[in-house]
Amino acid sequence: MIMTSEQQLKLQAFLDGELPEKEARDAAALVARDAEAADLVAELRNTRRALAGFEPGLKVPESRECYWSRIERLIQRLEPAPATAPSVSFFGRLRRFLVPTGAVAALVIVAAVAVLELGRPGVLARPETEMTSPDSAAFTYQDDANGTTLVWLSYPAESGFAEKAVH
Amino acid sequence: MRFKKPLSVCPGWLAALCFLMTFTGIAAPAKDLKFQALLVWATDAEKSPDHNHKPVDAEVLKKLRELPLRWKNYFEVRREHFIVPRGGAEKVTLSDKCKIGVTDVDGRHVEVSLIGKGEPVLKRIQPLSRGETLVLGGNAPDSTGWLVVLKRVE
Repeated sequence: MIMTSEQQLKLQAFLDGELPEKEARDAAALVARDAEAADLVAELRNTRRALAGFEPGLKVPESRECYWSRIERLIQRLEPAPATAPSVSFFGRLRRFLVPTGAVAALVIVAAVAVLELGRPGVLARPETEMTSPDSAAFTYQDDANGTTLVWLSYPAESGFAEKAVH
Repeated sequence: MRFKKPLSVCPGWLAALCFLMTFTGIAAPAKDLKFQALLVWATDAEKSPDHNHKPVDAEVLKKLRELPLRWKNYFEVRREHFIVPRGGAEKVTLSDKCKIGVTDVDGRHVEVSLIGKGEPVLKRIQPLSRGETLVLGGNAPDSTGWLVVLKRVE
């Protein structure tokens, strides 16, 4: 017969003398008629015998209830207290509200100023040269490194303006 | 020493700083624009026939030498300092036949007009920040040249 784990546990309890009388009788009958049960009981008995010499008989100085009560108190003391939400002052709540609001407001203002500035006429316009004299033209040389712009006019050298401009 | 809660405190100060900087920039009083204008005669001659002309100063000479101009010498005919009010305009006479007009467009861009013999020759809008220079020029008789050197001083 193949024993179930429940039957094996019962045999262990039988060997330890922990079964009620009826169940103990049933277990004894099982051991008597089943070789596997008898082998298991013999093995458990041998094991208990072998371990018996290695188990030190420790004795606690107080009663069992008192001993476990002390351990329970120790566990309770070591357990962290449940976290309670810290109370936030009115100014703290106000600051939590104002900081992001202020940052957003500042960004909106910066963006608005940028849009207004860039939207003004002529700000983004490229340099614009308009020749108002029909007989002239101009070319531009830009020296960004020195911050200098040269606009050269093909104004006729013989014109009165050029002739009289410097003399 | 440790700083406590840096992330919760810094954004507030940062926002305040942005706020202040923005409004400081807006509220900053608009300054007038200061210019220096020079009428210059460019020539290969060592001396100017006009004794009133003197060689341009070293700073102007350096600027002109860095431009693609071919003349050896540059003589200062006339120098004028003038102020353009913010958003306003100013005209300066550099010779009997040469005037320039400067109009402030937006504090950084200016409109420069060149007037020759009382008639407009050129009108140009461009950025001209502090320290930057605009040179207008053209050929003159006998392989010489004329230049108007306009520098924004402030």
